[in-house]
Amino acid sequence: MEPDVSIETSCMIRIAVLPVGTVPASVLRDYFSMFLRHHTIPLAAISSFYTEHQKSPFAHQPWDAGSIRFKFLLGGAPPSPWEDFQSNRKILAVIGICHCPSTPDLDSAVEQFTAACKNYSSALVQRCFAFCPCDSQLEDGGKKEDVLRLFPPADHQTLDIHLQTMMQEIAASLLMDFEKWVLKAESAGTILKTPLDSQASLSSEEVLKAKKRRLGRAQKTIGDYCLLAGSPVDASAHYSTALELARLTGDFFWYAGALEGSVCALLMDRVGHVDVVLEDEVKYQYNNVILHYRKSFIQDNAQRVSPLSFELEATLKLARFLCSGTDDTAFKSSYLCRSKLSKDVVELLTNAADGGKSLIDVNDRLVLFVEIARLFGTLGYQRKAAFFSRQVAQLYLQQDNKFAATSAMQVLAMTTKAYRVQSKASVSDPPCTKKQTGPSHTDSGKMHHHLIVSLFESQWSTLQMVVLREILLSAVRAGDPLTAWSAAARLLRQYYPLITPAGQNGLASALNNSAERLPSGTRSADPALPFVRLHSFPLHPSQMDIIKRSPAREDWWAGSAPSGPFIYTPFSKGEPNDNSKQELVWIVGEPVQVLVELANPCAFDLRVDSMYLTVHSGSFDAFPISVDLPPNSSKVITLSGIPTSVGPITIPGCTVHCFGVITEHHFRDVDNLLLGAAQGLVLSDPFRSCGSAKLRNLSVPSISVVPPLPLLVSHVVGGDGAIILYEGEIRDIWISLANAGTVPVEQAHISLSGKNQDSIISIPYETLKSVLPLKPGAEVILPLTLKAWQLGPMDFEIGGGRAATSGSTGRQFKNASVPTLLIHYAGPSTDSEDATIAKVSNLPPGRRLVLPLHVCVLPGMSLVKARLLSMEIPAHIGDGHPKPVHEEEDPASETVEESDRKMEKRLVKIDPYRGSWGLRFLELELSNPTDVVFEIGVSVQLDGTDDNNLPIDQDGNSEYGYPKTRIDRDYSARVLIPLEHFKLPVLDDSFFMREFCNEGSTSSSRSPSFSEKNTKAELNASIKSLISRIKVRWQSGRNSSGELNIKDAVHTALQTSVMDVLLPDPLTFGFRLTRDNSSPQQESGSKDSVLANDMAPMEVLVRNNTKEMIKMSLGISCRDVAGENCIEGGKSTVLWAGVLNGITMEVPPLQESKHSFSLYFLVPGEYTLVAAAVIEDANDVLRARAKTDSPDEPIYCRGPPFHVRVLGTA
Amino acid sequence: MATTASFIIVSRNDIPIYEAEVGSATKREDAAQLHQFVLHAALDIVQDLAWTTSAMFLKNIDRFNDLVVSVYVTAGHTRLMLLHDSRNDDGIKSFFQEVHELYIKVLLNPLYLPGARIASSHFDTKVRALARKYL
Repeated sequence: MEPDVSIETSCMIRIAVLPVGTVPASVLRDYFSMFLRHHTIPLAAISSFYTEHQKSPFAHQPWDAGSIRFKFLLGGAPPSPWEDFQSNRKILAVIGICHCPSTPDLDSAVEQFTAACKNYSSALVQRCFAFCPCDSQLEDGGKKEDVLRLFPPADHQTLDIHLQTMMQEIAASLLMDFEKWVLKAESAGTILKTPLDSQASLSSEEVLKAKKRRLGRAQKTIGDYCLLAGSPVDASAHYSTALELARLTGDFFWYAGALEGSVCALLMDRVGHVDVVLEDEVKYQYNNVILHYRKSFIQDNAQRVSPLSFELEATLKLARFLCSGTDDTAFKSSYLCRSKLSKDVVELLTNAADGGKSLIDVNDRLVLFVEIARLFGTLGYQRKAAFFSRQVAQLYLQQDNKFAATSAMQVLAMTTKAYRVQSKASVSDPPCTKKQTGPSHTDSGKMHHHLIVSLFESQWSTLQMVVLREILLSAVRAGDPLTAWSAAARLLRQYYPLITPAGQNGLASALNNSAERLPSGTRSADPALPFVRLHSFPLHPSQMDIIKRSPAREDWWAGSAPSGPFIYTPFSKGEPNDNSKQELVWIVGEPVQVLVELANPCAFDLRVDSMYLTVHSGSFDAFPISVDLPPNSSKVITLSGIPTSVGPITIPGCTVHCFGVITEHHFRDVDNLLLGAAQGLVLSDPFRSCGSAKLRNLSVPSISVVPPLPLLVSHVVGGDGAIILYEGEIRDIWISLANAGTVPVEQAHISLSGKNQDSIISIPYETLKSVLPLKPGAEVILPLTLKAWQLGPMDFEIGGGRAATSGSTGRQFKNASVPTLLIHYAGPSTDSEDATIAKVSNLPPGRRLVLPLHVCVLPGMSLVKARLLSMEIPAHIGDGHPKPVHEEEDPASETVEESDRKMEKRLVKIDPYRGSWGLRFLELELSNPTDVVFEIGVSVQLDGTDDNNLPIDQDGNSEYGYPKTRIDRDYSARVLIPLEHFKLPVLDDSFFMREFCNEGSTSSSRSPSFSEKNTKAELNASIKSLISRIKVRWQSGRNSSGELNIKDAVHTALQTSVMDVLLPDPLTFGFRLTRDNSSPQQESGSKDSVLANDMAPMEVLVRNNTKEMIKMSLGISCRDVAGENCIEGGKSTVLWAGVLNGITMEVPPLQESKHSFSLYFLVPGEYTLVAAAVIEDANDVLRARAKTDSPDEPIYCRGPPFHVRVLGTA
Repeated sequence: MATTASFIIVSRNDIPIYEAEVGSATKREDAAQLHQFVLHAALDIVQDLAWTTSAMFLKNIDRFNDLVVSVYVTAGHTRLMLLHDSRNDDGIKSFFQEVHELYIKVLLNPLYLPGARIASSHFDTKVRALARKYL
């Protein structure tokens, strides 16, 4: 079998091209390619070299249109035993190539060439071409004209023309030799034998037959020479004679040969005019040829020789003819014809493949399969071609030598495309399917199913594994470590689930062995293990958050953080990780991190020697790290680097140095793989098989790098540990901020966020402003005042539980109850020096420093209960008390109570004359569950500033202090706070209707809808203001002090009776004695007593606390110790002068009225005077105060009881 | 007589979605690989042939040595391919028809994505039973 056979092979003259002397391989190849260009020499061109010695046997030589064809065989070929049968198998000419610069001695070259020619006995023409001779060689070579042809040194084109001339000369001499040969053959007749002919001598009766047979064979051979000489018409004539004779003699083999020749002659004659009729004719004839070759099969010598190879060659020739003919005309390119043709070709090739089984010579089978594969490839049947290529490779692999292995490797490499296991190195351009699906993947996150499928098209894992294994085997045998490495890597990476652990180990050692034979730093296009996928891009730590600055706004940071009353707003960005439109900003010179997940699903320890992010733009310094992955494990690691220049950056994957070779792992490939695994198209998900959790699809965000920004770093002076505070404790802390960047901070702003914001009492806005701009390396210390917040019931439980186990307090920050200090800062707004940058990015972004204040609040003093207590101490009547109103400078604003209070100064004193009717206290029960001692101080803050006597605190409010109470650990104590000071001076509607306050007119028409609700709101407001004025401070130890949060407790305690506490009665009553100052007895006697049996002139003072005139009917009653009314009734013991009942009085607003009367006590003892009044025409305010239900109900006002001690005269 | 047979279902995307060695001959690993290679190569022939005929059953479309490939092309261009060495055409045709029905049942499963591997063990059992019956 010969490779590359076609029908036209019969008309090609074989020329052996031999290198003579030393010819470098590349030069030889170069020269040979020059020869190849001259494979066809037109007959018209050789006429100048042709001289007709005698009458040419080629009578119908087409001198104008015909041509002579050459087939060059580099290195020549051994003589074939079938030379006689097919003359085109003879080597008819030998050409030597001598490269003069490398072969100085031309003589020896000529000798060598002559020796080489001896092997080619059939050669009719021998020439040795010497290229590029030097001058001395030119001279020298001139003498050997007959054999050696010197080509003067010239450029390629000139050389080509020289060569053409030489080839024409050779063609002419060959033609002349053919003529000679044919003439000789016709006359003398030659014995033509093939190995097929039986060795036994012919029997006598066959002699005649043998002679005819010999004649027929001679005719066939002459026909061959006619074809070689380029004269198809002559050839046809001889062939038809030969056919006739061969048929007569039953010489099927030669018959078939002659038939083959005649078809070739037919084609040559009609060159360029192939049509359907001709095609059918050729097909018919060739089927005949095949048939006759088959017929010529003789069982006797089947073991030794067989015409099978000729049959197969004929089959291949026909198949090739059909293949190449398919696209000659428009008709043939139509689909139906094509498919019919391809069906024929497939049939032929399948038959040929079947015949291959019977071929004896392995090389023949090799050639057969190569040809079949080539033809299938021409037909477009890639899978068929791959199948037969693999058969070829297997045949190569059966030969145990390095060259065969190399061939096998190369043949297998050609099949990888059909089996879809090709190395990435062979795919220069990524397939367009991937390019198309890439963006859609990132866009939607969910790719259409058919698109995913297209990624995994033809997953014939069994085949792919076999092919890869064979490539590995052949590469190892051929000594190509890189190919071996690449094949093993592909095998391991794609088919690890199908490979046993032992096999995986074997592949790993194959990888290592290959790598040992590779120079260090070798790169391979095919990644091996591990699988690398993008895990996440960690956001900037809160210390380095980047905030986009909008140039229009002064407060550029506003809106950057979610604000508003909702925890989740539809407008907020959502979780930072899953946002596909996420943009990352990296800063030149600041290290960044990318988390990737590695998986090693195989059964061996994997060591990644180094691994770093790949950035093709080169504007990134990646830091390599090395990783060890145990079998069947995955690991999330951090890869870091520093961006070095401004601009967008993409990270397609990472570069891995593993198994001794550097490979690039693309994240997208693994993403696609995982996608396929999710759809059941790929064998296994390497990450899941390693026990790693499923990761949602993460798209690579667009990353942009911006110029350097300032960078503030902070720490709390005195240690960054948690600040442990008791509830309500107030403490100053200092925070140090330093600029660690390379750009000064020019703007900075502090704001608060998080829970318990109000626990930060003072924020040093000004301190920060004053130090701007903060140069790189500069530091500023900000003082801050903290007040520990109250622990809620939940907090308390968590806090308590945590506090019990020491050291776990750190975790308490995570419950996010700590307030956070946000510092927004930015560098220079416009870089005037660098105008280009300013144009590109109009404003460098600002940053945010998030500084959670690590405050741990421990439960401190706690309020157990707050109660309202009332105390009643009756007053004694006297002449000095209550103090007359006219003593006050400003009666409008001063009340009786206030004057009392003034007297009391700081302490509560029970005034025996004033009494304390309705005096109310707030009792706070406090307990100390901690293990330290607390000291409690109560202070009451008043808003009146006109009391100069009182201590005034910073806020301008005066305060009362009470003695401190000490509460030991695990004890509780009670603190009393008098509430008397909070009574309002005037009862008017302003309390109820604050909204009307501004008008200042109480007489304005009152809103009829005086709703309960309004009242309630106002009440709450007033309670709040009341409560806020009571402060309970505590101190513990030397530096721990704070305030107790009692608001809620007090609020509930006061809720019900706040009206009574806050509001004065509309009328206040007072009694006093109006005795003459002149009377001596009284002066000597007790000031506040009355003598029995004496007239005691008295006054009742009625004060109107409202802003309106009150008309009333006043009555005075007097009771004795037993509570009997001693004025009226049968046995009254008191006589009186003046009116005591039904006194009609009108008291102007905020004024006092007096009513005088006298009493005459008959019996000494204790008496009680009580004044009471019925208010007439009460307005709404009064009604509201009295809490009446119906407007008709009379309103009673009752004064406090006054005691009168009546002394006996004795 | 021991028969060799290899059955494979190839989706319209040329992905094998089901593979089974159903012959009674003793299994050899390299033989199984060869079967797959032959079947894979036969796809080229099916590709052209399927459009020239309206029949679903394409018998003996390809062969390699003594192994013959018969194919049944469904309307959705899923190919049921059988590599066999026996010449029991009727049996093969019935086998294909019944497997086609089974395949349609698999397709009707709402959880089965067309084009994905058929992992159903029930399907596997049924196919092997059919193979024993007809081949």
